[in-house]
Amino acid sequence: MSDEDRFVLCMLAPAVAILGLLVAYPVGLLIFDSFFKVETITPHIREWVGLQNYIDALTSKRVAESALRTLQYSVFALFFEFTFGFCAALLFSAMVGQSRWHRTIFALPLMVPPIVAGLLWRFLLVGNIGILNYGLVQLGLISDPNEIAWLSSEDIVIYSVSFADIWLTTSFVALVSYAGLTNIPKDLLEAARIDGANALKRFWHVTLPLMRPVIAVVVIVRGVDAAKTFDLIWIQTQGGPRHASEVFSMNIYQRMVRFGDLGEASASGTLFLLVMMVLAGIAYWKIWRPAHA
Amino acid sequence: MNRLLSASALALVFMAASARAETINVLVEGGGEMLQKAVAEKFTAETGIEVKFTVVPYQGVFDKFSAEIASGSSAFDVVTIDVVWNAKFAKHVEDLSALFTDAVRADLPPALLADAKVGDKLIGMPTWANAEIVFYRKDLFDKPEEKEAFQAKYGSPLAPPKTWQQWRDIAKFFTRDTDSDGKVDFWGTDTIGTFSEEWMAHVLQAGSPGVILDKDGKVIIDNEAHKKALEFYIAPHCTDHSVPENVNEIGWGEAQNLFYQGKTAMMKFWAHAYKMTPEDSKVSGNVGVAPMLAGDAGIAAIPGPWYNVVPSTSQHKEAAKKFIAFAIANNALGIEAPLGLAATNSAYSSYASKPGYEHFTPLLETLGAPATQGRPINEKYQEIVDEAVLPAVQQALTCKADVGEVLTEAKETIEDILD
Amino acid sequence: MHRVSRPSVSGILINAAALVLVLSYALPYIYLLMTSIKPAADVQQIPPSFFPAVISFENFREVLQSSTLPKAFINSLTVAMLTTALSLMVAVPAAYVATQYRRRITTFFLLFALVTRMVPSVSLGVPLFQLLKSIGLLDTIPGLVLAHTSAAVPLALLLMSAFFEGVPKELEEAARMDGCTRFQAFRKIILPIITGGIAVTALFTFITSWNEFLYALLLTSESTKTAPIVIAEYNSVYGLAWGAMTAAAVLYSLPVIIVTLALQKQIVGGLTFGAVKG
Repeated sequence: MSDEDRFVLCMLAPAVAILGLLVAYPVGLLIFDSFFKVETITPHIREWVGLQNYIDALTSKRVAESALRTLQYSVFALFFEFTFGFCAALLFSAMVGQSRWHRTIFALPLMVPPIVAGLLWRFLLVGNIGILNYGLVQLGLISDPNEIAWLSSEDIVIYSVSFADIWLTTSFVALVSYAGLTNIPKDLLEAARIDGANALKRFWHVTLPLMRPVIAVVVIVRGVDAAKTFDLIWIQTQGGPRHASEVFSMNIYQRMVRFGDLGEASASGTLFLLVMMVLAGIAYWKIWRPAHA
Repeated sequence: MNRLLSASALALVFMAASARAETINVLVEGGGEMLQKAVAEKFTAETGIEVKFTVVPYQGVFDKFSAEIASGSSAFDVVTIDVVWNAKFAKHVEDLSALFTDAVRADLPPALLADAKVGDKLIGMPTWANAEIVFYRKDLFDKPEEKEAFQAKYGSPLAPPKTWQQWRDIAKFFTRDTDSDGKVDFWGTDTIGTFSEEWMAHVLQAGSPGVILDKDGKVIIDNEAHKKALEFYIAPHCTDHSVPENVNEIGWGEAQNLFYQGKTAMMKFWAHAYKMTPEDSKVSGNVGVAPMLAGDAGIAAIPGPWYNVVPSTSQHKEAAKKFIAFAIANNALGIEAPLGLAATNSAYSSYASKPGYEHFTPLLETLGAPATQGRPINEKYQEIVDEAVLPAVQQALTCKADVGEVLTEAKETIEDILD
Repeated sequence: MHRVSRPSVSGILINAAALVLVLSYALPYIYLLMTSIKPAADVQQIPPSFFPAVISFENFREVLQSSTLPKAFINSLTVAMLTTALSLMVAVPAAYVATQYRRRITTFFLLFALVTRMVPSVSLGVPLFQLLKSIGLLDTIPGLVLAHTSAAVPLALLLMSAFFEGVPKELEEAARMDGCTRFQAFRKIILPIITGGIAVTALFTFITSWNEFLYALLLTSESTKTAPIVIAEYNSVYGLAWGAMTAAAVLYSLPVIIVTLALQKQIVGGLTFGAVKG
C-alpha cells in the first residue's frame, strides 16, 4: 500500500466505521425484510415470500398515486426553495459583509421545532381560522376568508402542505449557496470584469460553473429530503382528505408503524431507495461532475 | 474487560437497589401521568414500591412500546395504552383476568369491560374513560327571546337536544349572520371531517349491532344503520348549512376552539373539555352539558378508555399487577388532576354532585347506555380507519357522493384489508 | 458623477430586495412570537389577529414551571454540540480525501453516504434501538449522540465535499513542497481556507440533531429525553396547549439564534487562494 493510499484510508476510516456500524446494518435489514412476510412487532416470526411484497407494492394503485404525489410535492417544493434560496444567496453576497443579521433572520424558520412548524402552518392555512386567508381578504385578493380551502381541497392540498417545507428549508439553500459564493475567488471575477464581461456574463461564465458542486449537493440533499418528508404533512393533514396529500414515504411509515406490515413497507422502502439512487446519480453526473470536464 | 467490569458493577448496584426498594417503570402519555400521579404516590407510601413514569407524546407510546416488543425485552412494567391499540398488543401482554374481581366488574361500565377482552384474555385494566357528550351555550339557550323565537319557529321549547332532529333544528336555528355583512359568522355547531369516531357513535344510536364489523368480524359498514348515521352526520353541512363549511379541515382541536371562541352554539365533544374551558374565554361560565344524542337505539357513544397493561417481558410483573389493582381500587384519586377523568362508576358518582363536575352525570349516563360500545377489537383497526372509513366519511362530506355507494366501496376496501 | 451614483442605486435596490425577502420569511416566525405572548383565550382567536390585544407572559410562566423542560433543553444542547463535533471530526477528513484524492473507493463511498441519506428514517429506528441496547447505550446521551451522528454524517460529508471541490489540488502540493506532510497540509493549509464551508456544515449538523424527533423518542427515557419530545407533549390527545407550545418553541429557538450568529461570522471568511491558482 502506498503512502498516499494509507493517508486516504486513515482519513476515511472513522466515517466508514460510523456509517458501516450504524447505517449499513439497518439498510441491509431493510432489504432483507422486504423478501419476507413479517410484522413490525414480531420480527423473529417471518415467512419467505420472495418478490411477492414487490409485486404487491408495484401493482398497488395507492402506491402509484402516492409516488406521483411525491413527485408533485418534491418538484414544487424544490423549485421554490431553490429559486428563493439562490436569489437570497446572491443578494446576501452582493451586500458584501453586511448581511450577517439578514442571514440569521432568514434562518429563523430552521430554529422552530418541526412539529411546531407543522402546526403553525396548519393554523395559518385552515379556512375561517387561519390568518392567511384573512390577510388575502385584506389585500383584496379574495372576498371571503373561507374562499380557499388550502387543506381540504383535494386539487391543491398537496401543494398547500409544501408551504411549510419551503418556509423551513429555503434558508438551507440560501446559506449553503452563500458559503459557496464566498468561496469563489474574487480575482477571477475581477479578471472577467476587466475583460469586459457584464454582470450577467460574469455570473453565467464564472460564478455558475464554479458553483456546480454546491448546486448539485443542494439539489440532491433537498430533493432527497423533500421526497422523504412526511411528518410535516402528517401534522397538517394526516395525508387527507381522502389520501389527497399522502406521499410515498407516508405510505411507508403507515405500513411499517401504524399497520405493522414490515415486509411490504420494507419492499416499498427499497423501491424508494432505488429510484432515489437513480435520480441522485443523474444529478451527480449531470450537475456535479462537469466541473471537472 | 472494561465492559465486563462496569456491567458487574452495574449489576451490583442494581441488586443493592432492588433489595431496598422495588421500582416499576410506567410508560404513559402526558395525560396519563397527570391522572395517575396521585395514585402512584399513595401506592408508594403504602407498599414501598417506587413508581417511575416515562412520559412521551401520544404516538410515542405506540412507537416506543412497539420497538420494545420487537427487541424482545422491555424496560417497562406497566404501559398505559389507548383502547385502539388493545388488539395490536394483546399477544404481548399479561392476562389480567385475576384482577377483575366481582367488585371491579360491577363497578365498570360494560363497554369498558368488553374492550378489555381480546380473545379469552382480559388484557388490560381501564384507568380512565371518556366519551363524547353534548356541550351547549347555556346563556343562549336561556335567553327569553331565543326561547320564544324557537318555539314560534319549531313548535317546541328550546332545550338541550336529545334527538337527531332536535340537534339539526337547533343548529339551524342558531346559525346566523350576527354583524349583517351578508356572511354567516355564527354557527349552530360544527362537523368534524378529520376523524370518524363521532359518526361511529351515531351508527350505534341508529341501532347497528356493531361499528364497521359485527361480533363475528363480518363487515357491516353498509348496513342500514351505518347509512342512516352517515346521512345524519353530513346533513348539517350538506343540507342545513349550519356548520363552518370547511368540514374536511376541522378536527377535534378546531371544533373545540370554535366553541371556546364563541363561534358555535353547540358541539359534541369529549367530556373532559368541560373542565378545560379557558377562564378568560368568551364562553367561560356559560357552558352547559347533556348526555350524547339518542337515536332509535337510545343514547350511545364510542368510549375513549385507556388501559394499564403489563408487558410479557416485564421483570416486575407482580409489583406491576399490584399497582394496577391498587390504581383501580383508588380510581377516584385521578379526578383532582387537570384532566379530571376516571373509569369506575363509583369514582365518577362520588364527584357528580360537586360543583365544577356537572359533566360527570351526563358522561356516566352516556358511558353506561346499553347501546354504547367500543370500536371493533381488531388488529387491523387502524388500517381499516385510515384506508377505508375516514376516506368514506370525507367523501360523503363533499356532498357530491351517494352515501350508499360510498359505504359499499368502503366495505370492499375493508374486506380486502381483512383477507 | 454617473459612475459614482450607479453602485449606490443598485446597492439600495439590493438592500431593499434582501429586506423584503428576509421579512417575508420572518413573518410566520414573528406570528409565532406574537402568539406566545397572547393570553390563553386569544392564542387561537377567530377571526385571528396578528398582534396581541393584551400582552401576557402566562404561556412563558407555564413553560418555565415545567419540571422536565429545563433538563430537556440541557440534553438537547449537549447532544447537538457533541453530535456536531463528532460529525465534523469524522466527515471533514473523509470529504477531503473523497474529493481531493478521487479514486474508485472514494466515489463509491460518497454514493454510499448519499444512499444512507435516502433511507426512510422509520426503518432505521428499530434496528438502531436494538443495536444500542446490545452495546448498553440505550437511554444514554452518548447513545443518542451516536444515532444523531449517523444521521448527520452523510449530510456533512456531502456539504463538505461540495466545498472541497472548489479547493485547487495545487494548494496541497505547494504545501508539501514546503515540507509539510499530507496531514499537516490538510490541517494547516486547507482547513483555514475552508472555514466558511465548515461553519455552514456545523450549523446544519447542529440543527439536524437539535430538531431530530424519532431517534430521540425511541432511544431515550425520562432523564435523557430532548426538548422536541417535551415540546410535542403539549399536543396531547386531550387538546393542544398552543400558547405554551409556542412559548416553548420561542425559547427553544434562542440557542440556535446565538449559534447561527456566531457561525455566520465565519462564513464571511471567503477564500484568497486566487494567487495560487493564477
